[in-house]
Amino acid sequence: MSKTKTLHELANLLAIALKHKIGSIVNQNEIYAQKYARDYEILLKEAEKIAEQYNWSSEDKSMIKQETRKKLQQELEKKDFLDNKKFEIMDEEMDNALKILGLN
Amino acid sequence: MKFIHQVSKGSRYNQIYIPKDAEGIFEVGDTVEVRLLRKKLELFCSKSPLQLPEFKKSLIKQIFSSLSNFHEISQVFIVGSFLTEKADYNDIDLLVISKQKSELLEKKVFSYLTEKFQLKFHILPVSQESFINLQKICPLTRSMLYYFVSNKKFHPEQEIIIDKKHIEFLLMMPEDLLKINANSRTFYDNIRRLIAIRRFLEKKDLDSAKINQELKELLGEALYSRLKNNEAINNDMLKKLRGIIKKKIIELRKKI
Repeated sequence: MSKTKTLHELANLLAIALKHKIGSIVNQNEIYAQKYARDYEILLKEAEKIAEQYNWSSEDKSMIKQETRKKLQQELEKKDFLDNKKFEIMDEEMDNALKILGLN
Repeated sequence: MKFIHQVSKGSRYNQIYIPKDAEGIFEVGDTVEVRLLRKKLELFCSKSPLQLPEFKKSLIKQIFSSLSNFHEISQVFIVGSFLTEKADYNDIDLLVISKQKSELLEKKVFSYLTEKFQLKFHILPVSQESFINLQKICPLTRSMLYYFVSNKKFHPEQEIIIDKKHIEFLLMMPEDLLKINANSRTFYDNIRRLIAIRRFLEKKDLDSAKINQELKELLGEALYSRLKNNEAINNDMLKKLRGIIKKKIIELRKKI
């Protein structure tokens, strides 16, 4: 798969993973913070596998961040059953995830 | 003079008898102090029958006894594969009900039990208030409580409430699996989740054995086993799984 295509796939997966993490945080039932943290971890591992396929330049990393943010915003907007606090924490959670993947 | 006795059941009040040889010391009208030295440990099991070997019963008692020191915990349940599988369990799932919402409880309980028993635990903390609500609205919580062992009496909530937002929340992951790749066990867990949601909406019981049986019939023995063991799957299998998920989500959406 080309680098550009891989970048899009990575951003897409990261956005979905983050949606689950954020969903678990804003859900009032704390039991789901546990259950969905697991879903997030599974998806983040998949993202890690994709991220390892290439060496990413600072420019690439900046593009990944931009695209992930845009996709995450869209993903969260679609999920009207998630509390609006989701938008307040999205940047922080995204930065944490990118840091874990060495993409910050 | 002191003595240690068990509390016995009386017709009107529970009582402690004074030993014959101490009658002259403890007389009617004297003032004494009664202190709890050791709580009697009883296991309260789900109505659904469980065949637990002595080893598991004994371990559960030790876990409950250890957790009695956590005063913020009001009730503990052992749930999941530790109860239903003979040896094929990954960890011991504990549903810990706390008097109030607590951010730190899960970490505290996890560290304490792991250190003490050197076993793998999975702690699910939930406050009393959320627990009552979850039993009414959540298929996964109800399914989890189909088989349990608890340190206190427990009667599962009978009332069911269809909370569309909550069901949508549960559908998030299966829906995402239509467009992203994940390991095969994730597909197994999420198709199971869809079956549980459907059974909940149809007000059927949420026995994990019946859910597994349905899953096996749906996937076929070979694919079922492959997913359960998190083995690699090819594109044809993936296509089949996504077809099943898509169909199930459409069915569910019509019911909510």
